[in-house]
Amino acid sequence: MNEIFKMGLILCAITLLAGFSLGSVYEITKEPIAEQKQKAQQVAMQAVLKKAERFEMTDQAMDETQEVKEIQIGYQGDQIVGYVMKVVTKGYGGEIEMMVGMDQDGVIEGIKILRHAETPGLGAKAQEQTFCDQYANKSAEQELWVTKSTPTTEQEIEALTGATITTNAVTEGVNTALKMFEEKIK
Amino acid sequence: MTQILVIFLGAIFVNNFVLSRFLGICPFLGVSKKIETATGMGIAVTFVMTLASIMSYMVYEWILVPLQIEYLYTIAFILVIASLVQFVEMVIQKTSPTLYQALGVYLPLITTNCAVLGVAIINKNEGYNLIETIFNGLGGALGFTLSIILFAGIRERIEKNQIPLPFKGFPIALITAGLMAIAFLGFQGLL
Amino acid sequence: MNIIKERLKNGIITENATFVQVLGMCPTLAVTTSAKNGLGMGLAATAVLICSNVVISLVRKLIPSKIRIPAFIVIIATFVTLIEFLLEGYVPALYASLGLFIPLIVVNCIILGRAEAYASKNSVWASLFDGLGAGLGFTLSLTTIGIIRELLGTGKIFNRPIMPASFEPALIMIMAPGAFFTLGILMAILNKYRFRNAKN
Repeated sequence: MNEIFKMGLILCAITLLAGFSLGSVYEITKEPIAEQKQKAQQVAMQAVLKKAERFEMTDQAMDETQEVKEIQIGYQGDQIVGYVMKVVTKGYGGEIEMMVGMDQDGVIEGIKILRHAETPGLGAKAQEQTFCDQYANKSAEQELWVTKSTPTTEQEIEALTGATITTNAVTEGVNTALKMFEEKIK
Repeated sequence: MTQILVIFLGAIFVNNFVLSRFLGICPFLGVSKKIETATGMGIAVTFVMTLASIMSYMVYEWILVPLQIEYLYTIAFILVIASLVQFVEMVIQKTSPTLYQALGVYLPLITTNCAVLGVAIINKNEGYNLIETIFNGLGGALGFTLSIILFAGIRERIEKNQIPLPFKGFPIALITAGLMAIAFLGFQGLL
Repeated sequence: MNIIKERLKNGIITENATFVQVLGMCPTLAVTTSAKNGLGMGLAATAVLICSNVVISLVRKLIPSKIRIPAFIVIIATFVTLIEFLLEGYVPALYASLGLFIPLIVVNCIILGRAEAYASKNSVWASLFDGLGAGLGFTLSLTTIGIIRELLGTGKIFNRPIMPASFEPALIMIMAPGAFFTLGILMAILNKYRFRNAKN
């Protein structure tokens, strides 16, 4: 019994020591980690809404559509120059999280894929600039849809080869953001 | 309800722990020479993985989160799993000697099976609630069992065939696993 | 000096964790979709290996043998969490692409294996180089597999285009099955080499 007690004590001591040392390291690295997250978010927002100087999160009620996770207002000085929305949609391999940036009239400035689980080389190409650029300058007036050939109208998006589901998902996400703009912001 | 079904089937087929997430490869390659031992391992893992999912969920939500030490999750989970395995081993030994004889040898191996720690971390990262956690754990474990039994079946037959010498053992097993992974790719986009 | 050379050679070649001992297969298959990920994972595991080997060797006489395994696991988990903090804070891109497999370094059999087989019985100095050797061996294997998969799957190495434009990347190589194929064929090639040497 005494031996078991002694061994338990040693294990406890090791675990406590481990806990305390990690606690102190955590305190040190907490700031850089938060900073990195902040920076990543900032860079992504800046990329989809270039003219904004700073962003402010709205407390817009988001309960109706679970798909729009947050809305940020972009300011240039005191002037509102646009909005950035974080949208989640369902792709081929799982959820796709993306940023949609638009100006104050609801015209898309740019989109950026933040997180995805699409097939490498096919659906994952949705991250590439050439694909994302297709969405620039589209407006909230009408829904976008996907075509497998070269787009002929303003509202058409050309599907990625072998990844129509991914293209549909991204387009759906952009449509959700545009609808959000029409309903809540305009 | 649909959400739970999606998680459950997703864990078995689409995100199969072995063939698409690469978790639990060591036992998958190590104890898959015979269907019998593979089945034993599968049952033991299913048992431990489901329990470990529940236990680590409780430890995380009820101890780590209230104390605001979520960042210690790796240590907490591995301790939960190690003691759980010990505990299960003792209980089975006392209550059912036959079951202990069948599963006994696999139990110590499960502590370092990354599928078990993996499922606990995945549950935490995805923010599943208790019910979802249970089904993700059970589904992942059934997926593991399914693939290890199928794999053992194929390996038993391979043994009887002529294989080029350099491919004997692990190389041919890995290539077999690769072909199975291609088959499981077919489940992508299912849900 | 000799012990250093001997330990390094042992870890990198004689007892190479991946190809000879077939340990740590999960990260080997999962994160080698690119050379950079393989290298990053290898270095993270090496750092944990060195630290845990040194600490375990330091306290080896204080820990009763009955509870050594749980004690080792706690020590290893501590260093893994430490590495996780550092990666998240200073190399967020690598942290994101390795994801789940950083905390899973805890259950990497190589690390517990070195602790049990070497560090718990040998001096601090020798254990340090044992950890370094095993870690470098692991890193080398992971980087090699990463290079092969990235080259065949995307035509790039370390994200730099290598192949001519006419090269059609074989996507399957960076997907799950490609991992199994690459490792299987590499092992077969090594086996062939070994058998030929054995015959002579």
